[in-house]
Order: sequence, then structure tokens, then C-alpha cells
Amino acid sequence: MDLAPVLDGFTVVLEPTNLLYCLIGVVIGMLVGVLPGLGPAATIAILLPITFGVEAVTAIIMLAGIFYGAQYGGTITSVLLRLPGEASSVVTVFDGHALARQGKAGTALGIAAIGSFIGGTVSILALTFLAPLVAGFALDFGPPEYTALALLGILLVATVSSGSRLKAVIAAAIGLLLATVGRDAFTGGERFTFGNLSLADGLDFVPIAMGLFGLGEILYNLEERHTAVHAPATVANVWPSRKDLRQSSGSIGRGSVLGFVLGILPGGGATLSSLAAYAMEKKRSKTPERFGHGAVEGVAGPETANNAAATSSFIPLLTLGIPANATMAVIFGALLIQGVSPGPQLVTQEPELFWGVVNSLYIGNILLLIMSIPLVGLFVKILRVRPAILAPITVLITLVGVYTVNNDVFDIVLVIVFGALGYLMKKLGFDPGPLVLAFVLGTLLEDSLRRSLLIFDGDATEFFARPISGILLVLFLLVALLPPVRSAIVRRRTTSTETRTKELV
Amino acid sequence: MTTNHRARRWATAGAGLALALSLAACGGNIAGGSDAEGGEFPGGDPVTIYVGQDPGGSTDLIARALADEVSDDLGVPVTVENKPGANGALAAQELAGEKPDGHTLMIYNGSLAYITPLAVGEGKAPDIADYEIVTGISLDDYVLVTAPGSGFTTIEDLAGAGRPITFGTTGVGTGSQLSQELLFAQADIEATAVPFDGGSPTLTAVLGGQVDVGSIQLGEAIEQIEAGELTPIVTFAEERVSYLPDTPTAVEAGYDVPVQQARAVFAPKGTPEDVLQSLRESFQSAFESEAYQEFNESNQLTPNEIDGEQLREQWTSNLEDYRSVVEEYGIDLGGDQ
Repeated sequence: MDLAPVLDGFTVVLEPTNLLYCLIGVVIGMLVGVLPGLGPAATIAILLPITFGVEAVTAIIMLAGIFYGAQYGGTITSVLLRLPGEASSVVTVFDGHALARQGKAGTALGIAAIGSFIGGTVSILALTFLAPLVAGFALDFGPPEYTALALLGILLVATVSSGSRLKAVIAAAIGLLLATVGRDAFTGGERFTFGNLSLADGLDFVPIAMGLFGLGEILYNLEERHTAVHAPATVANVWPSRKDLRQSSGSIGRGSVLGFVLGILPGGGATLSSLAAYAMEKKRSKTPERFGHGAVEGVAGPETANNAAATSSFIPLLTLGIPANATMAVIFGALLIQGVSPGPQLVTQEPELFWGVVNSLYIGNILLLIMSIPLVGLFVKILRVRPAILAPITVLITLVGVYTVNNDVFDIVLVIVFGALGYLMKKLGFDPGPLVLAFVLGTLLEDSLRRSLLIFDGDATEFFARPISGILLVLFLLVALLPPVRSAIVRRRTTSTETRTKELV
Repeated sequence: MTTNHRARRWATAGAGLALALSLAACGGNIAGGSDAEGGEFPGGDPVTIYVGQDPGGSTDLIARALADEVSDDLGVPVTVENKPGANGALAAQELAGEKPDGHTLMIYNGSLAYITPLAVGEGKAPDIADYEIVTGISLDDYVLVTAPGSGFTTIEDLAGAGRPITFGTTGVGTGSQLSQELLFAQADIEATAVPFDGGSPTLTAVLGGQVDVGSIQLGEAIEQIEAGELTPIVTFAEERVSYLPDTPTAVEAGYDVPVQQARAVFAPKGTPEDVLQSLRESFQSAFESEAYQEFNESNQLTPNEIDGEQLREQWTSNLEDYRSVVEEYGIDLGGDQ
């Protein structure tokens, strides 16, 4: 493996501008992690227009920082206040807060920070070695391969994502439908444009993401009454004892692997992997009754896994151009704004961007480790900012921001429409994630399929004649057919505990 | 209570800032006003140039290269505003609605004027008769490329492939599509168009052998051609392209199909003649600057700095020529409009 581009990537990150943006990114990430309500996907969506003026690599370094920074930040409020700032830190509440009540908040936070750091690092290392491998196949990825990949991606998102599967499929179908708006790229015919030139190129991703994630979440949060929180002023004894470390080292190792694998899978990501890691730790433990009453493993496992997953979900995006979850879809949008189309050729065509971003993950994780422990008290104070102040400011930033992307007032209208849709979806229990992902992948799926059929002269069996697309389609069939078969078997027996936990998710 | 105080303080600060800004803005206007005593263009007011494509694309780069020079000459800021959409039709529509005072211009793509109308049908593309034309800018050439592994080096090779070939285009209604459709129709080669989304994906598909050939703007393919990763078959220019002296043109190979991308500066209909004239002078001096000429050179652009009316004739005759060949060979660029 040629190490020169990897090392060049470090030179890119260590440029003062990039370091600064990395720091800004992780600090913003920590902040949104601490604040309940706005998640990283929403924050990144809202900040998309700001990245417009900076270089591509700088922009993505910052946005990535927000994503994994939020995983750290979410832990703090989970442990101290029993208030998960992030969906991926929900399970940390169980044991983290129990530890805090026993006066061991520092231990919990310390273990979480160390676990997060290790989990993140393991994923970055794997990413470093995997990406060039995938890139070797770059030119073999033609329209048929992308068709299979997009198909698999949409299916996985709809089946693996949290919440009701039927609702996820409905949301994904709406996303696919929205992706058909605009001038047909093959015939020039107009679809659902109603003669409006702003719709001729289809709906733009940015206003959809900003509306559904940004405005939608803000509106939804307005319904919740936020009471003032009183955080403990000081957190003593942040470094976990040697005994705690020994006790959690296994959990950190398992969490790294589990998080890494689940992060790569479309639809997986940080939230799912933290839940899975908690379940696994509890199952493996000889003393499962300690869980929920301050078991260090119950903090170490999920916190490691969510960070490993946050990092490894960059793999499908940066190597295949397929976003694995909603946040990655927004970062995908950011890359497109910058004129960079992610895919297998990214690592060879834009080595500086690729390795700059990957290596910024190391730097960002170190920054977070340094910051997260001493600055805990400061971040907790931020919770005192009233949503009544924060929400209008965010709305204003969103609306002004979206205008600056294309200088088109129509985009503001779109944000408002999709904001309302996002609010209604959340209210009715629909996750907007599958919609956004299907929207992103829908165009890819349709165009690649039609291109393939043109190349194959209409013969669909040729999809199976090509090795990569053949394997991917077989995987697709497996994923599509396995759950119904398995649930049929499960239904014959009594309902197992496993399916019950899945419902809870 | 403290929150209230703080809020008030912020409000005061905000009002102060707004006041300062508006004062500054007024200051600018007063200074501009004195400049404009004789009502002369530009009278101290800035000029905006619309670009109907994304930032970073060729059209955008050309606009920015020119904006710098024109701004120096006019002595007012010249800003480039990207309004991407519908191959520039969106920006053209906005331009038509702007005040015809020379302060809003647009870099108009030739493909929108003489190819898009063939693809989207009558009345659906903007008509260049609805605009004033300041000046032509430059021409961008298309080159037909293939991967060396395909074994094709000439059009005869393609004709003798013994099977229908596939060709990648950079999209529907582009010069890339038109140039190849015309060539293959004239050479009587059975071929299927596979549209991609822009130059770079088309290039990747040709490199990977997903499609047999593709027609790509020279600037986007030159690196791979020089590295030997792509074989140029013909260019679609009228005369041999100075940047690819060894590659024949399609015209030389016996097929009468020059297709080029062209760009020009457009202004809203009704812009006064003296304003157009002073804009022309500014652009002319921009064309003559060394920095701009180097820019053309490094982006493989051929100057086409002709007068507005000449350009209108050029583009109108292009449209008529293409329309007649397209009809002659029964080529369908778009769908069923």
C-alpha cells in the first residue's frame, strides 16, 4: 500500500485553516450533542450553506467533526442529567446516570471518552486500509453495479432502520417518488414540474434535508416544554480507576467491532449500534443484574460502538458513494455542492480530499478526548440557553442559508414545505431518514438502471452475468427474503425476547 | 430580568450596526452619484453576471475570469451569481425580467440557444431574440474518445465493429449528444446513446469500458488523452483544434457535423445601445489582458470574441443547420414532446 497519499492527507489536516474548522466542527458537534432536540443530521443540514464558500476538504472536515463530536456530547447529558442529547446515547442513560448517582460520574464520562476514542480509531484504521482496496475496483463500477448497490442500499435502509418497518418503507417510497421530479435525463421530458423552471432539474437535496431535518425538528421540539435543568457544578475524579478500565476493556473491544460492522451497513449507524452493543454486553455478562444499576460495561460498550459506527459509516459514502444513514446523506449533499461526486474514484481522483477527511477523524478524536473531560462543566451550562431563544435563531439561519446556495427564493419555499412535512412525519411516527436516503439513491437507481438496460440492449439477465452486480443482487435477494422467512419461523415458536427489544427500538 | 437586559442590549447593538451599515451604503451611493454626472454607465453601481451553471464548471470559471478584468476596466465591482438549473434556462428567464440598464448580464451557453430547442421542443427553451447580445466569448471543443483497450482508433473502426456500439453523452440536449448522434447517423453506424450526468461521469464510463465511446469537452478529457488513458478519435470542430493537432476533425473524416460549445455575454432586451457599447469596450479590454489569454490557453478554449449581432447570426444559423440535419436523419434528441 502506498503510504504517501496518506501522509499527504496529514499535511492537509494540519493546515491551520483545516485544524481550525476541525475544532469548530467538533465543538459544534459537542454542543448539539449536549442540547437535546437538534441532532447532527439537522445541524449539518442547517450549516450546509456555510460550507459553500470554503474549500471542499475543509467543509467536509468540519461537517464530519459535527457528526462524531455529537456522539461525545450526547454522553455528557445522558450521564449527568439522565437526558440523552442524542438518540445514540439513549442507552448510556441506564448505567451512566446510575454511576453518576453513586458519585462516579467522572468514571462514566472518562470510560465513555476513552471508549469513544478507541472505537473511533479502530474504525479509522479499517477505513484507511479498506478504501484503497475498494478503489482498485473503481473502473469496474459501471451503471449495472450502481443499480445493484442502490437497490441494496434502499432495501437495507427500509428494513434495518429503527422504528416500524412499514412506515420506513412508506417513507422510502415517498423519497423515490420525489426523486422522479424534474426533467427526465434520458428523454428531456418533464415530470411533475408543472411548467415551473425551478423544478426542471428536480428537487434539490439541500432544501429537502434542511426542511425535513432542520426546520422539521425545530418545529417538533417546540411542542416539548423544556424545564430549566440544574447540572452538578463539578465532576470529580474524571479518570477511571484501573479496575474500571480492566472491567471495561472487553466491552470496548467488542463495541469497536460491533460498531464498525453496523456502521458500514446501510440503515445502521450510531443509534442502532449503541443499542446492539448494550444488549450484547448485558447478554455476555456473568452478572446481568448489575446492568441498570451502574455497570461500567453498560457505558463502555455502547459509547464505543456509537463512535466506531459514526466513523465507519463514512466507508460506504467515501468509497462507493452510497450514504449509509441520514447524516451521511447530508454529507453526501455537501460533497455534491462542492462539485465532488463521491464514489470509488474519489480516493484516486481527489486523494487530498479523501485522506484529508479521513485523517481529520484522528485529529478530531484526539481533540474531543482532550476537550471532553475538562470542559464537561462548561458544556452542561449551555443547557440553560432557552429553546425560545435558540429556535428562532436557527430558523432564521436555515432560511437565509438555503437561499445562499442557489440564490433562488423557490428553495426557501421548499424548506418551509418540507419543514412542515418533517414535523408531520415525526408527529405521526415516521422517521424522515429513509425518505431522504431513498431520495438521494432514487436518482442513482433510476439512472443507473436505465443506463444499464441501454448498454445491455434491454437484456436484464446480464445483471447477473457481471460479477460485482451479480453478487450484490444475490445479497439483495437474501436481505429481502430472509426476514419474512425468519419471522415465519419465529412466529411458530413463542415470541422471543429479541423481537420484543426490536419493537422497543 | 437579566435576560431582558441582555436582549435589550443586543437589540441596541443590532440597531447600531444596521445604522452603520446603511450609512456606509449611502456613502457608497453618494460617491457613485458624483461619478454618474453625465448619466454615464456604470455610474458607480455594481454589475452582476448570472451564470446558469454550478460554480466550478467551465462557464462559471469563464465568468469569473472575465469579471475580474471587466471590474478593473469599469471601476465598479462585478460579481458572478450562479443560478443553476435547466441548462441555464432558469438564469435566462431571470435575466429577461431584470432592468435593462446593463447592470445585470449573463454568460449564455450556445447549447441553450441552438441545441436545447431541438431537444425540448418548440417554445420550451428561451429564444435568443428576446435578449441583447453584448459579445461572443469563446468556443469549447468536443472530442470523441475511447479507452485504448477498445481497439478503436478511427470512425471506420467503429463502423466495422460488427455490432451496435454504445456511446456516452454528457446529457440530453447537449453538444455531446448532438455531435455523436449526427456523426453516427451520417456514418450509418448503429449506435445507442447512454446519457450520463455531465462530463466527469461520462469520462469514467469511457475509461472503464462501460460504453464504447463518448464525446467530451476537450478541457475535461485533455489530461487523460495526454496520459494515454484515452484515445481521441475525432474532434467536432470546424478546423483542427490547436490543442490536439494530430487528431482529425469529423469534417476531415468526411462527416459534416461541426458541433461546439460557445459562450456569449447577454443583456436584457432593451438595454440602451450606448450602455452595450461601453460594456463591449470593457469586455474587449478584458479579452486583451494577458491573464485572460493565459486562462483560455490553460482551459483549451478558442477565442470567439465577435460582435453581438455577428454572434446572433452564428447561433441562429447553427440552430437552423442542426434542425435540418436532425430532421433529415430523423434523429430524436429528446423524448416525445
